[in-house]
Amino acid sequence: MKKGYVQVTDSYERIVHWMVALSCLLLCVTGLGMMFQTFNFIGAFFGGLKNLKLVHNFTGLFFAISLGLVIRMWWKEAGVFVFPEDLEWIKAAGGYLWHVDKVPETGKYNPGQKAFFLVVAGGGILMILTGLVMWFPMSLPVGLVQWMYPLHALGFVAIFAFFFIHLYLGTIGNPGSVDAMITGWMDKKVLTMLHPKWVKEMEHEGKLVAWGKEKKNNAHGHSA
Amino acid sequence: MNKPELVKLIDTTLCTACRGCQVACKQWNEMPGLRTKQTGTYQNPPDLQWNTWTLIRFQEHVDKATGKFQWIFRKDGCMHCTDAACVKVCPSGALYHTEMKTVGIHREKCIGCKECVAACPFHVPRYDAKTDKVYKCDLCYNPISQSHPPACVKSCITKALTIGPKDEMIKKAYARVKKLGGDANVYGDKFVDGTHVIYILQFKPEVYDELPVNPTVPASVTIWKDLFKPLSLLAGGGVMGGAFLHYMIHGPKVPHEGTGVEEKKGEE
Repeated sequence: MKKGYVQVTDSYERIVHWMVALSCLLLCVTGLGMMFQTFNFIGAFFGGLKNLKLVHNFTGLFFAISLGLVIRMWWKEAGVFVFPEDLEWIKAAGGYLWHVDKVPETGKYNPGQKAFFLVVAGGGILMILTGLVMWFPMSLPVGLVQWMYPLHALGFVAIFAFFFIHLYLGTIGNPGSVDAMITGWMDKKVLTMLHPKWVKEMEHEGKLVAWGKEKKNNAHGHSA
Repeated sequence: MNKPELVKLIDTTLCTACRGCQVACKQWNEMPGLRTKQTGTYQNPPDLQWNTWTLIRFQEHVDKATGKFQWIFRKDGCMHCTDAACVKVCPSGALYHTEMKTVGIHREKCIGCKECVAACPFHVPRYDAKTDKVYKCDLCYNPISQSHPPACVKSCITKALTIGPKDEMIKKAYARVKKLGGDANVYGDKFVDGTHVIYILQFKPEVYDELPVNPTVPASVTIWKDLFKPLSLLAGGGVMGGAFLHYMIHGPKVPHEGTGVEEKKGEE
C-alpha cells in the first residue's frame, strides 16, 4: 500500500462495522418506504410493499445480531466517557466548529464518536425492542403496542440525523479517515491529528503497526 | 360527479336484533361464517372478526331507578371517522377516505402490518393471519358509490338503519332524540371531526358495552405522525445542510505542517 500508513482496524472490526452499516442503511431505506406514502415506490424494488415489510423485518434480525457484536466489541472503548479529558474536548467541540489552537487530546475514540456509538447502541436496542412488538402486536395489550410506533419513529429521528453526521465526518469532513473502514490502514499524519493520544499509547505499548513492518499477529485483540 | 357526504344513521331504539344486517353484510361481502361456541349468551358471533364486519351487541340492562329489565341492541362496526386514526397510520394507502367521506379499504394494498388495529379507537379493524390482511366494513363502497344503500341498510326491516346526506341525517337524528326525550342522545357527530356512522342512543354512551364515551385519535398516533415523522426529515435534512455549510465555511480537518502532528519519528 502506502508508506507512512499504520493499521487502525483489524478485519473483524471492519466486517462487523460493515454488517451494522449495511443493515442499518437497508432498514432506513425500507423503513422510509413504509413511513411515508410518498416513498411507497421503494417497495417496487422489493417486489411490492409487502415484501419490503418482510425484508425490513428480517434485516432487523440481522441488524440485532450485528449490533450485539458492535456493542460487545466497542463498548469499553467508545461507550464510556473519560473525564476530564472528554469534557475538555466537548468544550472545544473537538475543533470542528470554531478555531481551536490545540484540540484537547482524548483516547482512541473522541466524545463525538462516543456519542454516536451510544446513540446507535441505545437507539438500536430501542429499535429492535419496539420493532419486535410491532412485528407481533396481537399478543400484547393495545395500550402498550400503541406507544411502540412513536418510539420506533423517535429512534429513527435520532439515528437518521446522526447517520449523516457520521457519514460526513467519516468521509469528506475528515479526509483519510474512511480508510479505517475499508482497508484498515490510515495515513499516520491524519491519525495523529485526529487521535494523538491513541497513537502515543499504541507507540508506548509497541502496538502500532506500520505499513511494511507488520507482525504476524496484530495486537488489536478483537478477533476473540 | 359530486357525491354527497354520507351518514348512516343507526337508531338503536328501533332495532329488534333480527340480525338481518349481520347476515346481509356477510352475504354481500362474501364473508364465510366461522363456527362459534355457545357461551350462554345471545351474543353471536362473540365479537367483530375479520369475517364479521358488523354485529348486533346484545346487552342485558336493568334500570337502576325502576329495576326494570330491558335488552339493549347496538349494531357495532366501523364508524367511518373524518379524522380516522386508521387512515392516518396506514403505511400503504390501503385505508383511505372515499369521495363520500367514508373509510374504504383497498385490500390488495394491505401489507398486514396491523398498525390500524392498534390505532382505531373503536377496535374495528380485524386481522386475518391466513391472508395476512386486515378487514373491516367499507360501508359497501360499490353500492353507495352508485347511490344504492349498503347491504345492512337494505336488509333492515324496522328502518333502524338509514343512509343519506350528512346534514340531512344529523338533522333527522336530533329531531328523533328530541322526540325520544330522557337520556336519548346523538352519538358520533361531536368527536374525531364527526363520524359517518351516527347512533341514536336511548341511554348515555357509558351504559353501552364496548362503546367508548369520548373516542379520539390516540395521542401516540398524533405524536408519531404529526411530530416525529416530519421531524425525521427535518433533522436529517438539517444535518445534511449543516454538513454542507460546515464543509464550505470551516472546511475539512487536514493535518498542517508545524502543528505538532509529527512529533515522534520512531516508526517510519
